Formats: sequence, C-alpha cells, structure tokens
Amino acid sequence: MTELLTAVSIGAGNGSVYALLALGFVIIYKAMSVISFAQPAFMLSGAVLVSHLSPRMGFVAAVVVGTIAIAVVALVVERVAVRPMVGKAVFVIAIITIGIDIVVRVVAGAFVGVDPRTIGDPWGLDVTTIGGVQVQHRHIAAFVVTGLVVALLFAFFRFTRMGLAMRATALDQEAAMAQGVDVGRVFAVSWALAGALAAIAGVFASAGNPIDQNLWIIALTALPVIILGGLDSLGGAVLGGLVIGIVQAVVSTYHSTWFPFLDTNSGAIVPYVLMLLVLLVRPQGLFGTKEVERV
Amino acid sequence: MRRSVRRLGVLAAVTTLVLAGCGRDDGGSEAEGEATLGTGVTSEPCPDAVDESKGCIYLGIISDLTGVFAGVGVPLTDGGQAFWKRVNEEGGIGDYEVDVTTYVKDNKYDPDTHAEVFAEINDEVLLIAQSLGTIATEAMLRDNDADELLVLPATLGSNWLFEDRVLEIGTSYCAEGMNAVDYGVDELGADKVAAVHFPGDYGDDTAVGARIAAEARGADFTDITTGPGADQQTAAVAEVLKSEADIVVVATGPLELAAVVGGAVSQGFQGKFVGAIPTWNAALLQSPAAPAIEASYLWASSFPGYDADTPGHEAMREAAGDAPANEYFAMGWSGGYILKALLEEAVESGDLTRGGLLEIASSMSGDIESEGMLPDGSGNYAGDPNEAAVRVTQLFTPAADTDAGVEPMGDIFTGPTAEGHDFTEACYLQK
Repeated sequence: MTELLTAVSIGAGNGSVYALLALGFVIIYKAMSVISFAQPAFMLSGAVLVSHLSPRMGFVAAVVVGTIAIAVVALVVERVAVRPMVGKAVFVIAIITIGIDIVVRVVAGAFVGVDPRTIGDPWGLDVTTIGGVQVQHRHIAAFVVTGLVVALLFAFFRFTRMGLAMRATALDQEAAMAQGVDVGRVFAVSWALAGALAAIAGVFASAGNPIDQNLWIIALTALPVIILGGLDSLGGAVLGGLVIGIVQAVVSTYHSTWFPFLDTNSGAIVPYVLMLLVLLVRPQGLFGTKEVERV
Repeated sequence: MRRSVRRLGVLAAVTTLVLAGCGRDDGGSEAEGEATLGTGVTSEPCPDAVDESKGCIYLGIISDLTGVFAGVGVPLTDGGQAFWKRVNEEGGIGDYEVDVTTYVKDNKYDPDTHAEVFAEINDEVLLIAQSLGTIATEAMLRDNDADELLVLPATLGSNWLFEDRVLEIGTSYCAEGMNAVDYGVDELGADKVAAVHFPGDYGDDTAVGARIAAEARGADFTDITTGPGADQQTAAVAEVLKSEADIVVVATGPLELAAVVGGAVSQGFQGKFVGAIPTWNAALLQSPAAPAIEASYLWASSFPGYDADTPGHEAMREAAGDAPANEYFAMGWSGGYILKALLEEAVESGDLTRGGLLEIASSMSGDIESEGMLPDGSGNYAGDPNEAAVRVTQLFTPAADTDAGVEPMGDIFTGPTAEGHDFTEACYLQK
C-alpha cells in the first residue's frame, strides 16, 4: 500500500506538470481552434531561462522573471508568425506552430550548453513522510502551485473583462467581434498565457533533476492529456493531466510485476493507451464539447 | 579474421605503392620524395602550421558537439586537439604536422547526420581520429568508400575487439561491468546485483558483463532496462528498490544516473551504484542529486584520472590552461598517443596511405609510449580479441573539492571474472 501511495504522490507531481502544459494547449485551442505545437519549446525555454537566472537573483525571482519573459516571447511569436496566418486553414497554422517549436527549441537548446543544468529549486530530492508514505517536496510544490495557478486562471476567466472576452471568442468568434471584442488581443493573451504556463511547467519538470535540451519531450505527454480531457475543456486538461500522471506512475512502479515480458518501461505508453480507451467511449474526450454537424 | 584483413592490408599497401610509382593514382595517393601520400596527406603546410616547411596530415573528427552527448564529445574533441597542438609545437611527426581542426564535424548523435558528414570529409582525411556513436561508427565502417579507413571510436563496446579497422582504447563496457560486480562481491560482500541500463550496444554490453560476473560469483542478478529522460526513471527506481541489490551497475546517461541514484537513495536504498564511463558528468555535483551521488556512486573507468601524477597528465593540464578540468578531455588527449605511434611508424615506413596505416595498425602489439596516460595493454591490435582486450578498471569517488569532481579510490584492478573471460563475440549480442 505504501508503494502504491508513493507512486500516486509521484504521479500527482508529474500530472501537475502535464496539467499546466495541457492548459496552455486548451487555451490556445479555445481562442483559435488550433493546436499549438510550440508548447514544448516554451517549456524548455522557461526551464533554461530560469536555470540561468536562478544563480543571479534567486529561485523565486527567477521563476517570476522567467515566466513573464516566456509569456512575452510567446506574445511576439504569435504576433510575428501566427497572426498573419489567421484565416488560413487550421492545418496550416498548426504546421506553422511546429516550425515555431523547432526554431525556439534550437535557440533555447543553444543556451543549455555542453553540461546538464539545474534550476536551483529549493526542494531538490527532499522528502516528507506522511503516514508512512515518502512524498517528495518537489511533487507537493508542483501540485500546490498548479492548484493555485488553476484557481487564478478560472478567476481570470470568470471575473475579468479579458477573461469574458476570451470566453466569448471561444464560443463564437464572429459574434464576439460583432460585440466589439478585440479578437486579435484575445489571440495574443492566449499565447502569452500558454507561454507562461509552459514555463512554469518547465520549472517543475526540472525540479530535482538536472536538465538537457531533451526536456521538451515531456511536453508531448500533454497531447494525449488534452485528447483525454477534451480539447476545449480547461477542467478536462487539469483532470486529464492528473489521471495520466498518476496512472503512469503506478504502472511504472508495478511495471515488472504486471508486465514481466516487457523489456522496457511500460509507463511511457500509458498516456496513449488511456487516450485510446477514452476515445473509444467518448470521442470528444472526458469533458470536451461534442461536435454537432448539420447535414 | 584479423589475419585475412591483414593480408588485405598488405595487398592494398603493395598495390598503393605500385600505383604510387606511376605518380598520382585513382585512389588519391601520390609519391612525395620517398614517401607515398594517401588521402588526407599533403606536402603543403597545415592551415595553422607551426612550421610552414612541413607537410600536413589531416585527421577527421565526427563527434557529438551539440546533441545529448555533447558533454562527452566536446571535451573529447578539445582534448584531442590539445594533444596534437603539443605534438606540432614539438616538431610534428617527421616532415609533417597533424591537423585535427579543419575536418571536425558535428553528428548531433544522429546516425544519418554522421553518415552525411562522413561523406563530406571522407576524401579529405587520412583516418578518423574520433567517431562518437557505436551504430553510426559501425555504419561508417561498412561504407564502400571507406574500406581501408581506420577509426578511433569514442565508445567502448566489446564489439570493437572484433573489428580490424577500429583502434579501440580502454576497457570495454562489458569488462567494466564484470569488474564492477567483482568489486561489489569482493569488497562489499554483495550477493544481490542489479544493472540499470539503456537498451542497445552500450547499455546491454555493460549489463551482460555484470550478468556474467554475477553468475560466475553466485550472486542474484536483476536486469533493469530503462529509457532516456530523467522523468522516465520511476520504474527503474522502483525496480532498484525491489531488487534490494547490494551493488547496482548503471549504464545510462548522466541525467538518468542522477534520477535513479537520487530517487532510490531518497527512498532509503542502501546499496552502492557503479556507473560506466558515460554516466559521469561533473555538473551532477551541482544537481539536487549531488548528496546521493557523493554518498552512493562510484565511477568506473580504465583511464587514470585527470589529476593523475604522470608526465602525460602534467603536460595535458599545462596545455589545458584555465579550461575546467574534465575527464573526457583527458581521454581525448590519451587517444592521441595511439595515433601518434601509428603515424610515426607510417612516416618512418614512407607509406602514408590508408592501406599502409591499416597494415601498420594490424601489427601494433601494445607497446605504446603514452607517458602514463593509457591503460595497460592498450594499443594491441595484432593479437586476437582476447589478447587485445584491456581488462583493468579504476574506480573513482565523487569529490566536489577536486578539479575534475572525482578522485581515484584504491588501485586499478582486474576482477577474476574479467581476467578469465573469453571474448568470443560482442557481449551485447548475448543479451
């Protein structure tokens, strides 16, 4: 039982990272109906930037500055590379985001350097024992901070004019425009938010471990998360992230017992198996909006 | 196999000499005075020549300069370049200086890129002074345009013992795995052994060595295959804990090592970890896993440490100047001694062609002057694989207060398993 609960705590920590990433995907999708594949690059950029800033200004300040900086980078990217493409086929814009991802990753990777880097987080590999279960501080921090970020996001969408504009745009872009909503501004804020969320995710993905330029691969797990949770559901992104994180950690822990015939880590395929299972039952994901087409 | 290739080498050398007598041949050889110059050798000075009156021998380097193993490839390359700079400043090799800077290519640890950049430099270099990546190097050796090309690999798979055109140096991962287990059994009383490793030549070679030793010493063995990525080590950590191993042999990259050691120790694991050469990076001592690594990790290498007290290390440290101390820099420097001995003999014989070098390499019996930098038994390419195999291991402990981050622990040794092992094929094929 202790082993299972330890796995759950690890999964909650990892799942929080997935949730943050997935929220960024969903926010952009709701605004533009496009899946942005640039999230992995923003995640890597955030972690690398914090690793450089942390020794100079301390970890907390580095995270704040790094998050704002990556939000600005995402804003600029949207304005320069994505905005001119608005109106083109969604597929075209999605491909452009792949290009953005590669460019940003290459640039960020150049700042990783030859040796692994660390972000200077205060948690390291410290653990706290709760009811006999060893829980790592970095996982607690990831879970708590994700909870706070999600609460702030929901408050933003619920109580601010921009949040209202974003919700209106997500519902019906043309109607929102007719009501005076600056849709271009909504796009820009969506990208900035997604960039900031990816940067925070990068920080927690790097906590406790040295990093290299392959850190971005973690962000790929957010893709099955958003499919599982529902492409246009913020709540689905959070829940999907946690579910996939926890199931993945549990399967990884019991990997050799359950799948002794498999030579490699079966945990890596868990997100995709879960996604397939959910899609078989609910094609729109757990909380996604069912698509209705008039014929 | 070695004999047949040696014959091929002799045939190639004779053919080259005959053709050289007629001036420049189709293979790019030319007679220069009494010497026969092959691909990558010119009577013109090197671009950055110390002595403009000397000719130039171009050696190629294909390494990972920007990819996941850049932490290995960059200092290896720097070390090799520093070695040849010193050689050139001390008069070069006969009437030649050696250039290892013009044809340096980044393979990004990608076999396709490796093949592309090799094609770019194949007609420009005499041999490959560093090739990083086992699969990519294997593919390069099979290239039809490289049938006499000698390669110094930057990997230590036991497969190189069976390749005649490869100038392997150091103890193979396989023998290193055996020595790690023998150390655990003899010094720690280990009766449970585990191996955490990447799939493929490097990881499997180490794990098979560990398994062979565990079986020979009557210890339980747990095989744990894991993938790349620090975030992907949950299963490996769980397996290590379940194994209750007294000693865990690790053959991953540095990130995975940090995640496995840090993760297991933080959950109360009491055993010792011994990592293969590629697991180490001094930057790990700045990572959150540093306390666990300092307490529970040993690094296995067959090379003396950067801080070793030998004439070669002294010269290397002087050449390195203010550059941070780095064990891979020392290994890059060390490999130069093999090539220097080879080229000196080639210059003396008057045959500076690939075929000529192959012939000479096939007769090298390990008597290499390395100023104390190469492991005993290095540079024996004349004998069969068991004679050629280097089997010694030096264990190092992490030491944050040293320049290179590690310091030797005890004497260099060869365990009973590695000592008596009969290498009949690459260990990783026995997975």
